[in-house]
Amino acid sequence: MWVYEKRLQCPVNIKETNAKLAQAIISQFGGPDGELAASMRYLSQRYAMPYKEAVATLNDIGTEELGHLEIVGAIIYQLTKDLSLEEIKASGFDKYYVDHTLGIWPQAAGGIPYNACEYQSKGDPITDLYEDLAAEQKARSTYDNLLRLCKDYPDVYEPLKFLRAREIVHFQRFAECLRLVQDKLDEKNIYAFNSAFDTNAPCVNNCK
Amino acid sequence: MVSSSKKELFNDINEMSFMLDDITLYLNTHPTCQNALNEYQKFKELRQEAIYKYTEKYGPICRYDVSVDNYWSWVNMPWPWEKECEK
Repeated sequence: MWVYEKRLQCPVNIKETNAKLAQAIISQFGGPDGELAASMRYLSQRYAMPYKEAVATLNDIGTEELGHLEIVGAIIYQLTKDLSLEEIKASGFDKYYVDHTLGIWPQAAGGIPYNACEYQSKGDPITDLYEDLAAEQKARSTYDNLLRLCKDYPDVYEPLKFLRAREIVHFQRFAECLRLVQDKLDEKNIYAFNSAFDTNAPCVNNCK
Repeated sequence: MVSSSKKELFNDINEMSFMLDDITLYLNTHPTCQNALNEYQKFKELRQEAIYKYTEKYGPICRYDVSVDNYWSWVNMPWPWEKECEK
């Protein structure tokens, strides 16, 4: 169960609309390395994760990512609020507008819809944690790309900078989870089996 | 330590909540770190105090904390994605 609080984890207060920037930033809402995919990845993976520290980490980072989805949504909302038809046409926002008007819909910057195939829940702790580490770096790279586009717009730059920093913290926490999990496995056999499924593997029993 | 104007109190809630967001993630992978446990306790109390004061004076940020009079005020509050500069 989740408890909603009427506040953003990082405030968003954008004074001027900019539909061009919104079209790029929307990738962090519903794109391949976006916040929706991040949250769904971790919240899906937590069920099959057999190690308690990693379960708590997946649960809580998955929750924080929902808060980040809300921040990115707020940025897009404020960047496109009350756009005139002239602005819509001039910025190239017309292709989005025709299907969604000024509603917020999860898609990548290139228009590709949000898709669960953008992440995995493999049911294997080592596999899933490596996926999570990669995901945090991919999201960080995406924020780097966005920050280069937003240099002259401090209202947009600041919350994106905050979100980028969180990717780095999350990477650190997942790396600690990977270490904790590896420490519980036979050092000669860390990658040879699925410790969530192959519970009779000798290397698992040796480490109990 | 906890301020009293609406803006300051709201800012306190956000800052203390963020401290807790970060400390709790750290504690998940370092559950025996006494320093982090102490910090958690400190910010938990400060956050609770700020939320209590804010809710009493300016209304709830959580739907479990709504004071019931003759109208469901939860629907009235500005939502967080609305521009703060327009408040």
